[in-house]
Amino acid sequence: MTNTLNLVFSNYDYIVMASTIFILMLVGLLIISEYIFLEPYVVSHIPSGTELGFSLIVILSGLSALVIPMNIYRIRILKSSKKKMGGGVFGSIVGASAGVCSCGPIGFAVISTFGTIGATASAFLTNFEIPIRMVAIGLLLLTYYTTVKSLKVECKINS
Amino acid sequence: MNKGLVTGGIIAVVIVGIVGAYFASTSTENSNQDVTRTHGAVSTAMGSSILGNPSALITIVEFGDYQCHQCYNWFHNTKPAIFENYVDTGKANFVFVDLAFLGKDSPKAAQASYCAEDQGKYWQYHDILYNSQESEIDNGWAGPERLKAFAFSLGLDMELFQSCLDTGKYSKRVQYNIDEAKKHGVKGTPGFFIVGPNDQQQIGGAQPYSVFKQVMDSMI
Repeated sequence: MTNTLNLVFSNYDYIVMASTIFILMLVGLLIISEYIFLEPYVVSHIPSGTELGFSLIVILSGLSALVIPMNIYRIRILKSSKKKMGGGVFGSIVGASAGVCSCGPIGFAVISTFGTIGATASAFLTNFEIPIRMVAIGLLLLTYYTTVKSLKVECKINS
Repeated sequence: MNKGLVTGGIIAVVIVGIVGAYFASTSTENSNQDVTRTHGAVSTAMGSSILGNPSALITIVEFGDYQCHQCYNWFHNTKPAIFENYVDTGKANFVFVDLAFLGKDSPKAAQASYCAEDQGKYWQYHDILYNSQESEIDNGWAGPERLKAFAFSLGLDMELFQSCLDTGKYSKRVQYNIDEAKKHGVKGTPGFFIVGPNDQQQIGGAQPYSVFKQVMDSMI
């Protein structure tokens, strides 16, 4: 496993890519989940009782930053198919959409635009925010496992 | 002096007294029905009564939904410090206006708070809703039966309360407040206007106490 990580991240480009994905996902999710506010002042805040949600966002961002560059490496260097990357990207999207707070501007816009259907979808994402994020983390872990496994096999064949 | 004029004057005074006494006896709801009441640019006429010193320099207007978990977070994490340092000390007062948009139970919960206001217990009912909020939207915690149970627990006259809630007495009032929020660009709950003597500042979301302190201190 360590060898696989070394293989991918020995290239500086993939470290930059992973860092960028991590920062963008973390900051983006923290803003839409209202852990970071930009107005009237930039301020971060973890209300009591929301620590689990915050931790899941950090894990989700970290795993996405790990899995996505590894899959891009597989596709670019080993000319593999794009199929296996699907799980990682899907996991990230699922996790991110669960963070859309229905009380916040995104949820408000969705409900105002789509009415009852929007409200139902928004309520679903809010009600199952934690389980959805856990499923997304599970998907990312599964993608990580299969990616490491396939990188080992493909690298052996190619070498 | 003309005897008829004096008698007419006495009758007029008596009528004014009777009418005044009637409105004073039913003033719990009417005290809030100043249809011209505004704070800054925001009409709060159909919102809650003013909590705290009515002549305070600053008014905090909160637009909220009883099913919003961020409103719950603000109610429990930030509001106590604001009340301790600004509302209870007379520097600021507080008004709650409904932006009940999250689910089908949200407008009913808002209406129920005004039904409680009819019996002089708006703020107690408001508090009971935020203390009883459950994490799932529309799971029944703010359904009609629970709203009535909350009223019962506060010792309200249940016949009056049920009639008020079931007939949708305050549905237009709640809708007016939602429209007012949208008109002023409130894009989520909780949304705040901090209205000072010379200006007003909008704050979106359940922001921490330090943000409110900074804004209010700059206005005093």
